[in-house]
Amino acid sequence: MKSFDFFEPTTLAEASRLFAEEHAQLLAGGTDLVIGMKASTETPQSVISLQKIQGLDSITSDSDGGITIGAMTKVREVELSDDVQKYHTALAEGASEIGSIQIRNLATIGGNIAHASPAADTVAGLLVADAQVDIASADGGRSVPINELFTGPGQTVLKPGEIITQFRLPNPASGSHYIKHKIREVMDLAFIGVASAVNIDNGTITDARIGLAAVAPTPIRATEAEDLLKGKEITSELLEQAGEAAAAATSPISDLRCSAEHRKEMVNVLTRRTLQLAIDRA
Amino acid sequence: MSDYSVVGKKLPRVDAVEKVTGAAQYGADVHPAGMLYGKIVRSKHAHANILSIDTSEAEKLPGVRAIVTQDDVPSGRRVFATNKVLYLGEPLAAVAATDADVAEEAAELIKIEYEVLPVVQDVIESIKPSAPRLHSDETKDGPNRRNINAKIKELSDAESDDNQDTIRKLQAELEKHQDEIYYNISAETHTEAGDVEKGFADSDVVVEDTYVIPRVHQTYMEPHVSVASADSSGKVTVWASTQGPFAIRSGIAGTLGIPLTQINVIGTTMGGGFGGRFGVIITHVPAVLLSQKAGRPVRVQMTREEEFLDGRPAPGCVIKIKTGATKDGHILARQALAFWDSGSVSGASIGSTIRVRGVYKIPNIKIDAYGVHTNKSGTAAYRAPGAPQAIFAGESQLDDIAEKIGMDPVKFRLMNMREEGDAVPAGGSEPKVGYKETLEAVADAAGWWDRTVDDNQGWGVAVGDWTNGCGPGGVYVSVHEDGSARIFHGSMDITGTDTAITQIIAEILTVPYENVTIRRGDTDSAPYSTGSGGSVVTFTMGNTAKLAAEDARKRILQLASERLNTNEDNLELRDGGVHLITADPPKSISLGELAAFSLSTTGGPIVGKGSFARQPSTPALAAQIAKVEVDPDTGRTRVLKLIASQDVGFAINPMAVEGQIEGGVVQGYAWAMMEEMQYGENGNVNPGFVDYRVPTSADLPTVESVIVEVPAPNGPYGAKGVGEPPITPTLATMANAVKDAIGIRVTELPIKPEKVVEALKNNGHGK
Repeated sequence: MKSFDFFEPTTLAEASRLFAEEHAQLLAGGTDLVIGMKASTETPQSVISLQKIQGLDSITSDSDGGITIGAMTKVREVELSDDVQKYHTALAEGASEIGSIQIRNLATIGGNIAHASPAADTVAGLLVADAQVDIASADGGRSVPINELFTGPGQTVLKPGEIITQFRLPNPASGSHYIKHKIREVMDLAFIGVASAVNIDNGTITDARIGLAAVAPTPIRATEAEDLLKGKEITSELLEQAGEAAAAATSPISDLRCSAEHRKEMVNVLTRRTLQLAIDRA
Repeated sequence: MSDYSVVGKKLPRVDAVEKVTGAAQYGADVHPAGMLYGKIVRSKHAHANILSIDTSEAEKLPGVRAIVTQDDVPSGRRVFATNKVLYLGEPLAAVAATDADVAEEAAELIKIEYEVLPVVQDVIESIKPSAPRLHSDETKDGPNRRNINAKIKELSDAESDDNQDTIRKLQAELEKHQDEIYYNISAETHTEAGDVEKGFADSDVVVEDTYVIPRVHQTYMEPHVSVASADSSGKVTVWASTQGPFAIRSGIAGTLGIPLTQINVIGTTMGGGFGGRFGVIITHVPAVLLSQKAGRPVRVQMTREEEFLDGRPAPGCVIKIKTGATKDGHILARQALAFWDSGSVSGASIGSTIRVRGVYKIPNIKIDAYGVHTNKSGTAAYRAPGAPQAIFAGESQLDDIAEKIGMDPVKFRLMNMREEGDAVPAGGSEPKVGYKETLEAVADAAGWWDRTVDDNQGWGVAVGDWTNGCGPGGVYVSVHEDGSARIFHGSMDITGTDTAITQIIAEILTVPYENVTIRRGDTDSAPYSTGSGGSVVTFTMGNTAKLAAEDARKRILQLASERLNTNEDNLELRDGGVHLITADPPKSISLGELAAFSLSTTGGPIVGKGSFARQPSTPALAAQIAKVEVDPDTGRTRVLKLIASQDVGFAINPMAVEGQIEGGVVQGYAWAMMEEMQYGENGNVNPGFVDYRVPTSADLPTVESVIVEVPAPNGPYGAKGVGEPPITPTLATMANAVKDAIGIRVTELPIKPEKVVEALKNNGHGK
């Protein structure tokens, strides 16, 4: 590991100022950064820990199921939170798929998202929760919808000095579900990840959201498939059409894990399945 | 069996406490004063000419203490590449520096100029004339060309003019087999018994398929590591994580021209080996070279990535196999043509292709096996080297034959299995074996005869055979004044072998198990011992331990007869003492008292010596049954049940034996379902545990072990080698279960979800 300066600011303002410098990296849980530094794929000149800043690591709920999750909240806490499990099941399921329990006790949801891997396990759940990403910076900060955060593999709209502080999930669907396609039962990376969330009124889908991971340069929403579902009565044909529409929305790559074709096929299969399971839960 | 009080019992391992408390000393725990950190400089290309190696920049880096290249290797044995690299990660040089970061930086500063060459990674591509050559243009003939050439030679030798016509015809036929001129062949072996052509002609059912098995890594937890210290007198000490310290000693001596006894190899606690921890040049020789040059101790420790690039994994292979049987279930012939991926050197276990004969009466058999060079590292042993690959092909095809003739796969196997006295195809006759007992045991335990399935579920069965090796070893045992016994030997503990040795000695000396301790010496102090691989240790060292304990027992009885003033015939060693059986009231003397007494006798202390080298081994069978459920839409397979029986001869420690069975089954499962080293245009592309998947406990149900005991005549208490057999049938067991579930044979491992979906689609299932 190359040597670096280490900072532990206690305020966001100070952290933001330090992070605006060149070759600076934020340390949240460290489960990506430290591995990268050991392998010399990350060679920051300064590392800014967010661990001494108060108030970034809690999950709070309002009365109608809206939830705010601090960026420094451990993935394991997201996984085990009663409110997340109840109102945003897909997100809790996604969190439960990351690494091992040891990793989940270190890793943060903010880190999982800011790292901007298209295969991040919490991202599909946040997409279908319509999450708002709150961002702090020296000039006050801003908020962007999660589906506008990513610009490419490892790339986001975050500017130098901008730090994700929390995720606001205003608007819970009545049922949601996340499935990860993988080989190994646990501790595997997502070949693809699919989350669905639905609201249902009397057998008719009133709202549907589908989030897809590892099938495009960024995580995406399958909006055509969502539109196809809205206002329709639930039938197996409808779910099949949605699966096909979701697959059509993807632009996966072939890599050593599997072929692009397989990824597309699995989006079709798993979209159908997550929708059915989300409907069963709604 | 119940007569024994220590052997045959599930006793805790002698090394359990030091392992769980972290006291055990592994290679990376060794840190002599002044130790430097070594780093190997590796090729960045899979195939390239080396135009130059420039170490000048690295030498200037503060903290660098030594740089070595092939110029420093006196024997000329290839430790570092010079003119040409043959695989990604091949060593070119090594550096030693005051800390690991400096060593790494120095390694980067060594400038290597490459001229990149075309790469070949696939055995079937490598044998073609279009493939780049790794070593030479030499060619070998395939099976048909070999046959024809043999006939031509025979006719030519006869020197009869009548033959000329036939010879010409044969030569014309030879021309038709141009595709059987193989390039890049590293080794070949050919075996034949009976007449396969006639066997196939007489068969009602003939099945032929090509099976593809990937290269897999042993993935021991501890990467290769050695610490070497060369002193000013030339004496070299090496702390080596190895299965065979004595083999490492002679390997270093031969490579570096150091007198044998000027090298002391200290075997550190091993974090797994599985056959992959015998290599001399991987880290040991570079560490010694660096230490000699720097005049300070040097540690060379591989990263996991280096393990994948430059370890010596198990070879992948392509096996074309054909089997013929009669419609009432008799196997008549089997033929196999195998291409083993030996990487940049020779040495893949091509001889194991013979294992396709299985444990069946097959009158006609023909096997042609080739080792093929590719741009990969060389290979080494991995738990029953070569057997899982060959048995995967053989046992998969056996199920397809059984299906074709409409026979139950277990009955079909039982009907064809060899028994004592039956001819082994191309290999003598069977001693007393437990093949049928072992298969019947697993079938009964699994509930095979009234098995049921739901949708997308299937059952698979397969058997695998293996015979343990044997080698030299020596053991001393001393009895002390407190009645305890201490064992001294030089073999590396591998999965509980120290425990087995201890149990045997406790049994014979009747010393309580907890009062027998075992110490391992280094190569300077301990008697020679064979390497701990090939399932040899309990067989070899168990026999050796028995001899040592019996030798000590002799001295104990001698002392007791002197002390109790009676004939040895009246004495009995039991419960930690010698008893005068004729005395009334009973009279006895404890081992402690005898040990104390011995110190002032002419004969001296109680020291038993055992020395042993070789006895014939007996084949052992592992039989396994799996129940799986396949998701036809995603192709994911879940194992619902895994039952494994094994003929172990006699289980010295049934708990350790069960551990071996479970471990072997899990490794076989992994090879079948997820593990594979993947290669792209420039070498291995998954050198780490993210994309080289080893299973976790969440992937498998509890493996149910069934111990079968058909004693080996020469094994200690009848024990057979147990480490290797359990991996041998698992690949086929899994493949057969998947076949039963989806109705389609997957011939290429691992059986990943994508392959299952593909297979189903190609057969008209799904969309």
